[in-house]
Amino acid sequence: MSDPGRARPLPAALLVTALVAYPFLDRWLQAQTVHAVTDAMIYVLLALGLNIVVGYAGLLDLGYAAFFAIGAYTMGLLNSPVLGSPLYGHAWSFWVVIWIAALVSAGLGVVIGAPTLRVRGDYLAIITLAFGEIIPVAIRNLGDITIDIGGWRPVERLNLTGGENGVNPVGRPHLPGVNFDTDFIPWYFLILVIGAASLWAMNRMRDSRLGRAWMAIREDETAADCTGVNPVKTKLLAFGLGASFSGFAGSFYAAKLQAITPGAFEFNVSIMLLCMIVLGGMGSLKGVILGGMLITLFDRILLAQLTFLVRWIGRSLGVAALASVDLTLWRWFFFGLGLVVIMLIRPEGLVGRRVRSPAADVDEREEALALVTAPPRPRAEALPVWLRESTAKRAGAAPALEVRGLTRRFGGLIAVSEVDLVIPPRGIVGLIGPNGAGKTTFFNLVTGLLRPDRGEILVDGASVVGLRPHAIVGRGIARTFQSIRLFQNMSVLDNVLVGEHCRLRASVAGAVFRPPSVTTEERRARSRAQEMLAFVGLADKAGEMAKNLAYGDQRRLEIARALATEPALLLLDEPTAGMNPRETDSLTELIGLLREEIGLAVLLIEHHMEVVMAISDRITVLDYGTRIAEGTPAEVRRDTKVIEAYLGKGYEQELASP
Amino acid sequence: MSAGAGLLELQDVHAYYGNIRALKGVSLSVSRGEIVTLIGSNGAGKTTTLRTVLGTVRPLRGSVTFGGRRIDRVPTHRIARLGIAQSPEGRRIFAPMTVLENLELGAFARADREAIPADLERVLALFPRLRDRLQQKGGTLSGGEQQMLAMGRALMARPEMLLLDEPSMGLSPILVETIFGIIRDINRLGTTILLVEQNARMALRVAHRGYVIQTGRIVLQDAASALLHSDVVRKAYLGEK
Repeated sequence: MSDPGRARPLPAALLVTALVAYPFLDRWLQAQTVHAVTDAMIYVLLALGLNIVVGYAGLLDLGYAAFFAIGAYTMGLLNSPVLGSPLYGHAWSFWVVIWIAALVSAGLGVVIGAPTLRVRGDYLAIITLAFGEIIPVAIRNLGDITIDIGGWRPVERLNLTGGENGVNPVGRPHLPGVNFDTDFIPWYFLILVIGAASLWAMNRMRDSRLGRAWMAIREDETAADCTGVNPVKTKLLAFGLGASFSGFAGSFYAAKLQAITPGAFEFNVSIMLLCMIVLGGMGSLKGVILGGMLITLFDRILLAQLTFLVRWIGRSLGVAALASVDLTLWRWFFFGLGLVVIMLIRPEGLVGRRVRSPAADVDEREEALALVTAPPRPRAEALPVWLRESTAKRAGAAPALEVRGLTRRFGGLIAVSEVDLVIPPRGIVGLIGPNGAGKTTFFNLVTGLLRPDRGEILVDGASVVGLRPHAIVGRGIARTFQSIRLFQNMSVLDNVLVGEHCRLRASVAGAVFRPPSVTTEERRARSRAQEMLAFVGLADKAGEMAKNLAYGDQRRLEIARALATEPALLLLDEPTAGMNPRETDSLTELIGLLREEIGLAVLLIEHHMEVVMAISDRITVLDYGTRIAEGTPAEVRRDTKVIEAYLGKGYEQELASP
Repeated sequence: MSAGAGLLELQDVHAYYGNIRALKGVSLSVSRGEIVTLIGSNGAGKTTTLRTVLGTVRPLRGSVTFGGRRIDRVPTHRIARLGIAQSPEGRRIFAPMTVLENLELGAFARADREAIPADLERVLALFPRLRDRLQQKGGTLSGGEQQMLAMGRALMARPEMLLLDEPSMGLSPILVETIFGIIRDINRLGTTILLVEQNARMALRVAHRGYVIQTGRIVLQDAASALLHSDVVRKAYLGEK
């Protein structure tokens, strides 16, 4: 994948020059916009932090301004003579407090994130909305509270927040030779540095193991969990890291304004930040910067200038209504109108990920070829060496899967009842049965999506009952889904890379600072993913969005993603559903090849009997949740119960006929 | 191709599906009382053809007529009221509603309310599995059961014409047999059927006529029995070596 964060040298140099020259040009022209632009950059930084939560991880957060408040009040508490400073006798330095503020915000982000982990969508939005309301109220009411901190300090009353009046003054940063008192230019450069560093860090996070995990969660949380991504940890990191940036923004804001009041952190701030992201393009760093700049500067500069203009026109024409108009009072009107228009014209935002790709013709040659020749035939030579090694390491003498007395009810309905199933090492076992017999439920129990009411599930001799799906992936069980569940808006390569997630080690710090160990790991992961794609015949489609793949390719990509988790056992849920006979043949070969070459054990749900009968060592038949037959394909197909419940009398004729 | 002869007529239909030019001049006709099947590989344009009939994809060029009336600019819900129903629509059932409610919704647009209970009975006779689950939420059904529900729901509209999009997908062998039996029964009771299938063998066995679509063009059309024995179809779609 091309790295959009890697700028071309010339435009980058121009951009830096422009950013450095701008405040001096502004002073020379006496335009006096630096103050407003600096404020705009604070909001951009906030929007970038929120973008991690909303744009990357897909968690709708309506109360993000709360973290802004926490950052600001941390600065207020530690660096103002009127608040907490009496605790220590002196104010703390800005340069120290700004880091503390980021840490406090991140910590609270995790704390707030924790109860919201189980909810998504509307529920999550409501909880964050409530949090956003709680914080300003708490701040207002904590101003008049007496905290008895004992005899060891000469302070009895501690004013935590200044209440309705807020905090005034807040200490400025001190830097030898730099005037932070009357000049706006140092502030501009300070936020520029903070913003650039944040942007750099975010850019690196996005293109890392962590960034991919966020996006996988956004695309399909269940599929991500079953691909080895820990959703709890991943979401908490999004909340925590997203909040940390607002800690920087908040503390900078407090110091620059020299005063903070609770009114600056109300609900409308959260909404405005969200609008910046949506306007610019969710998930796009450039878009968020553009959206943030547009919205704040429109408010701060454009509306004021327009007011002057309209008043002047009004005076010239003698229209009293126009001469006294104040457009800034209409800001929410223009703001709303603009947003409606943009969303109608460009729903993906100004710089958003392109939802519509350019029109393309079906590749006639390719399809004609696919009809005459079979789809890419899996070749043993193309099998990635690393996969061979990892699976060889896992394959032990114990059964790949041993299930005893597995039972699960849904209300009064017994979906799976007392089912036993053993998959020997290197075994391929078919799981068949009428629709609704409990086959997929069985898969969901084995992969940890559902908890059994009773029964044992042993992997390599150890019980996995109670483990979360991602942990079970770690134990070497991978799966595909009946209705394909790819990460639609991620590239084909990234889909496979998410599969490797549980075998990679890079931490957050590693993702940002990229020590040699992480760079090596990432490079190896990418080359592994490429090898895997080559093996399943998707090498030339690595950069495409998963959703743009043809149906058969999507099925193969899902298998590639599952294989990337380095499993010892692969669970396939109707892998050939919707495939034509040739694609079906090629997939059957692929499964056989994986067993022959790397000893991968397979549990297969499938309705295409020519597939199941051809490659299964043994077949288990379920009906109404219970096992009605078990045996070799030859035994099962002669079983009268199986014929009656599942195969049908026409099956034998079907086999015989052309 | 003679115009106006069939119940459903597609004339030189060109259409985009997403960013792909999916149909490049598709013409086909289905006469009253027929089962016509449209076979082709993934991405050939089978589903897009069905969508242009229902109006969820609009043709750029060409015309779609139903019962002699142009419908390619008619809103989808009106097309449904003209007597065309589709199933399984990618199993788009109403997940939070019960099976019974799903079935009743199929009859939503009907004027002859008094005939509905009898039709419900008929559908449940066709799909006994659904009878066991009448009070269960649609979303808790297994994939194959959802398939049956979607088909039952389409039948509840008592359509003049039924569009079937891969009705056998994800069904057990015995149910595949049942489903194709049901398709034949529905047809005998007077419903005209346009059937899109991956399982070309079964489709050609129940159909009267068939069309083969490739990269958005009809490349072959004939009586179903003739297609079943044609070399091209046997090689490309029946998986014979």
